[in-house]
Amino acid sequence: MKVIEISAPALLVSLLLGVHPAQAQSADDKIQQLEQKVDELDQRLKVAERQKEIKAEEDADKAKNTATVTANGGPFTIRSGDGDFILRIGADFQIDNRTFPGVSLLPLTDQILVRRARPTIQGTVYKYVDFYVRPDFGQGQVVLYEAYAQLNYFSRFNLRVGKFKPPVGLERLQSDDDTTFVERGLPTLLVPSRDIGYQLSGDVIKKRVSYAVGVFNGVPDNSLSDASVTDHRDYAARIFLTPFQPDTKSPLRGLGVGIGATGGNVDGLTLPAYKTFGQNTFFTFASGVTSAGHRTRLAPQAYYYLGPFGILSEYTLSEEGFQKGTVRRDIALRSWQVAASYILTGEKKVFDTLVPRKAFNPKEHGWGAFELAVRVSDFSVEQGIYNYGFTTVATSPRRAHEWVGGGNWYLNRMLRISVDYANTNFEGGATVAAGGNRPSERVFINRFQVNF
Amino acid sequence: MKLKTLLLSALTASALFAAGPVKLLNVSYDPTRELYQDINAAFAKQWKAKTGADVQISQSHGGSGKQARSVIDGLQADVVTLALAYDIDVLAEKAKLVPQNWQSRLPNNSTPYTSTIVFLVRKGNPKHIKDWEDLVKPGIGVITPNPKTSGGARWSYLAAWGYALKKNNGDESKAQDFVKRVYKNVPVLDSGARGSTTTFVQRGIGDVLLSWENEAYLALNQLGKDKFEIVTPSISVLAEPPVSIVDKVAAKHGTTEVATAYLKFLYSEEGQEIGAKNYYRPQSPQALAKYASQFPKITLFTIDDTFGGWQKTQKKHFEDGGVFDKIYTPGI
Repeated sequence: MKVIEISAPALLVSLLLGVHPAQAQSADDKIQQLEQKVDELDQRLKVAERQKEIKAEEDADKAKNTATVTANGGPFTIRSGDGDFILRIGADFQIDNRTFPGVSLLPLTDQILVRRARPTIQGTVYKYVDFYVRPDFGQGQVVLYEAYAQLNYFSRFNLRVGKFKPPVGLERLQSDDDTTFVERGLPTLLVPSRDIGYQLSGDVIKKRVSYAVGVFNGVPDNSLSDASVTDHRDYAARIFLTPFQPDTKSPLRGLGVGIGATGGNVDGLTLPAYKTFGQNTFFTFASGVTSAGHRTRLAPQAYYYLGPFGILSEYTLSEEGFQKGTVRRDIALRSWQVAASYILTGEKKVFDTLVPRKAFNPKEHGWGAFELAVRVSDFSVEQGIYNYGFTTVATSPRRAHEWVGGGNWYLNRMLRISVDYANTNFEGGATVAAGGNRPSERVFINRFQVNF
Repeated sequence: MKLKTLLLSALTASALFAAGPVKLLNVSYDPTRELYQDINAAFAKQWKAKTGADVQISQSHGGSGKQARSVIDGLQADVVTLALAYDIDVLAEKAKLVPQNWQSRLPNNSTPYTSTIVFLVRKGNPKHIKDWEDLVKPGIGVITPNPKTSGGARWSYLAAWGYALKKNNGDESKAQDFVKRVYKNVPVLDSGARGSTTTFVQRGIGDVLLSWENEAYLALNQLGKDKFEIVTPSISVLAEPPVSIVDKVAAKHGTTEVATAYLKFLYSEEGQEIGAKNYYRPQSPQALAKYASQFPKITLFTIDDTFGGWQKTQKKHFEDGGVFDKIYTPGI
């Protein structure tokens, strides 16, 4: 005898509808089958979703290990998936056209020249170590300008080793591509260009204070070298405060004030020669003079940026020992500058790279950014430098006073065209005609610059 | 002279400011997050009391095989606490980061705790899963990670294989067929044990999760005993997750002493108790006796006895082109 098991709902259905229990059982089976199918479909859907999720996780994981290449207005960059390894290739090309108007008693040469041609290789290895290499092929010579490694493991204590800019002059520390004028002001003549050594630096107190201390070989003013000619060392330190920097609404947010200093023995160090805006030597030391004793530099400095307006000022005092024969004396050399600029197109003036709101593209109504700027700068030496025969009034003036006016057209982040006019007056020597001063130097410099 | 003195003072002061707590990185497998959170806190306290120094221990988790590869590729692990010995062997063989005899340096083959593989099923066990045999039935969804990336999954795979071997009097072909049928029922292969737990518990996929015993209890305690239950099979594998200092990295970091002390702490009574509280079977008889009630009695077989050791097992089953590659085809 066949026994039919029937569920309560099916029995109820059969009683209500007056159908045969076997038919009700069939409906019950179908419900069960449908439920089973729904469960199966539900599982399939969940599996498909989970597989999609896993695929996304795997892709994200893969992305972490896949290097990316970018070329978007900065250096060409290769970056490992986790960002621990980065290689950036950039360059800085500056083509200058120098024109000295009028007739001068000095041999001033109008010329078009490659002022700088500097490929840059920089990057990061193992997350915490940055490296930077920058030679220069400009002006017919090959010079290694920068080659250093920097350990950034402790964010407030970065250790840099190699050849780089010692922490002294404000405008010297500004990148060659970012200076407002095509040539730096006169205070830069009294600070080192690049030197080889060690530097500890960092930003503290929420980046309100940046500091740098270092020990270097020691180089003549505004110079660089790849080796030391003496066994002495030059010590440098700089502190720079931007106390209002974190407050985005403060009008003093763009204020920075600091001081740089160096000290060290300069026995046997080569003597420098100082150049004008037009890159002509206007001050040299007499033959037989050597550096002797101690050199101390002090360089108070400040900038202030507010919207499109910017002002930068610095003073440099260099007190250095010189010797001729048996006479040795400390002589003070001083220089200062004040430079102001305004961006007509309204971009914010900054110490670093200026980026136009709209890159040059007239079809899209983009014209880049336009900036006007003026600068006054002064350089002077102590009278004793003549009294002790370290130089002569016949070759070197006691004072140079310069003013510059100019404009910059930033076509985009990488391309800039600049035109500057500079007038430098001299006092206290460097006569071409006996008894007079060195003739004033007037120069137009037009620069075409590409950097990335 | 004054400036020189000033600069030297500044450099010295900077170096002092730079000094902080000793940092250790423990690279571990997937389900040990909670265990090492507890261990790290207890060890840091003990180390501070003993030496006066602070130690800060970071954890990294993932599929055991994947973690081993990361260490070879440069992940700066001071210690590794991985799911199986083979994954530390490769650190010795391929990268010379640990010596060949690493496993003899600490007691119990450098295995401070053991574990095993159990089944986590949905409450009421609606598919009536009681033993390995039930996993091959049609329509059963089995959740387990990829044994090529997950240590736990390799233990699960071998547990199933070992069961089939014993049931079929050592017949390898029947064992292979059995495991093939198990994996036919695996719809999703995660890369690690924690991912598989997510698949089963949070995404609601499958009927049974092949799980580390501690991971199963963690899921049960965290997600509610009203949702899941644990089924202990008749037989399973004795899982021995080992630990080792990564000698080259620790030497480079200057952390050899603290890293060694950290691993020895795992064998201390305090470390063993923490392990047991996290459902790892302790080696210490005292701790094992104290927590005996939470570990069901189960017949366990070892990799050495049943498969001839990890080197042989890895090569045969899990290398590219090995048995797993041959038998696995996505199911459901």
